Amino acid sequence: MHLIVVTPEGELYNETVDYVVVSSKSLGEFAILDDHAPVISAIDVGYLKLVKGKEQIFTVVINGALEHRDNVVHVLAQEAHVGLNKESAMEHLNAVRKERLEENRRRTMDFLKAERELKKNIKEAEASKR
Amino acid sequence: MKSMRKIKKRMNATEKTSQITKAMEMVSASKLKKAERAIKSFRPLTEKLSMVLSRVLESDRELSHPILEAREVYKTVYILVASDRGLAGPFNNKVFKAFDQHIQKEHENKEEYEVVALGFKAFDFAKRKGHTLLHDNIIPMRDDVQFIDFQNIADRFIQGYLSGKFDKIVVFYNHFVNTLTQEVKHQTLIPLEDNPFLENKEEEEATYRSIYYYEPSASNVLNQLLPMYAVHVLYGMILESKASEHASRMTAMKNATENAEELLKDLNLFYNRARQNAITIELTDIIGGAEAVK
Repeated sequence: MHLIVVTPEGELYNETVDYVVVSSKSLGEFAILDDHAPVISAIDVGYLKLVKGKEQIFTVVINGALEHRDNVVHVLAQEAHVGLNKESAMEHLNAVRKERLEENRRRTMDFLKAERELKKNIKEAEASKR
Repeated sequence: MKSMRKIKKRMNATEKTSQITKAMEMVSASKLKKAERAIKSFRPLTEKLSMVLSRVLESDRELSHPILEAREVYKTVYILVASDRGLAGPFNNKVFKAFDQHIQKEHENKEEYEVVALGFKAFDFAKRKGHTLLHDNIIPMRDDVQFIDFQNIADRFIQGYLSGKFDKIVVFYNHFVNTLTQEVKHQTLIPLEDNPFLENKEEEEATYRSIYYYEPSASNVLNQLLPMYAVHVLYGMILESKASEHASRMTAMKNATENAEELLKDLNLFYNRARQNAITIELTDIIGGAEAVK
């Protein structure tokens, strides 16, 4: 069966797998095997376990929708991250998110400083006078 | 007439400024391309999501959700999508002006609405005008904006809507028409007016309507997906606003560069005149001195 994971940045994953286990915090777990009935589900915070032969890949998903039809699984996710096990993937995603928020805060300070400086420079150039 | 030194100093400053504006123009041009690409890559996701939602809603016409139903409005949330930085021509002010006019027309006092300000400029504006803000921190609108940047606040107003604290959520943003034109639009984000999901029913789709089953239930899926869809729509608007910002800044910086060049031309003229003046004075001095010696 084919699995496509899409995030706002584009396609994250697009490959053929044996089966998919969908796990979500509020719903519990279920697996989609070949020729599963068409299904629509939502994932608040959870993960997908992609099994391909002996390989197992985990994709952590935050706020996602899942649709399965004709052996094609579409996962639409606000944020998703691939990892070798669910803990490390989740950790990584959380770390990335935390870092992002931290960076936002830092940039807020830098921005305000830089803008003040720019305004001063414009004033000094007497750009408004002819 | 100003002294030569002063004119020279100003010429240098203008020259430097024009270099900066020129660089900013080029940076904005490349960022605009990036923003346009982001819009393009984002669109399929929204389409797919709205398709999934319409499948769910078509499966059972009885299904409903507060987000789909308009109710009497007591309290409105306005989301202002602006930018972090200025120097983008009328980009930010256009949004604020449209918002001001709307407020004056629709509301009598400040109790009737709350504001969500996305971007430094919007935050400044809301603070200056004394609007009630839904959040205390500045929400930055970075060029590489991501869901997580505004996830917190989005959860907050959606929860507020679902719990009945707010009855309507409206977004003010710059709609990107093309590089030269951007227009301010205000659009109701929640409730989703006249249910966009039930319109696209094609015959071929009808066969799929009943065969889906939902994990765990259709209404549960709906509860999860509708807020997500609303946030997606907001994200789409933010992306458009980003593209508008870059386009607007590009045009503004282009004008600024042209003006600086014109100014430089004038200043050069002044400078030459001042220089000639100084030479004449020097010459008269020398001649006067020589005459006196005779």
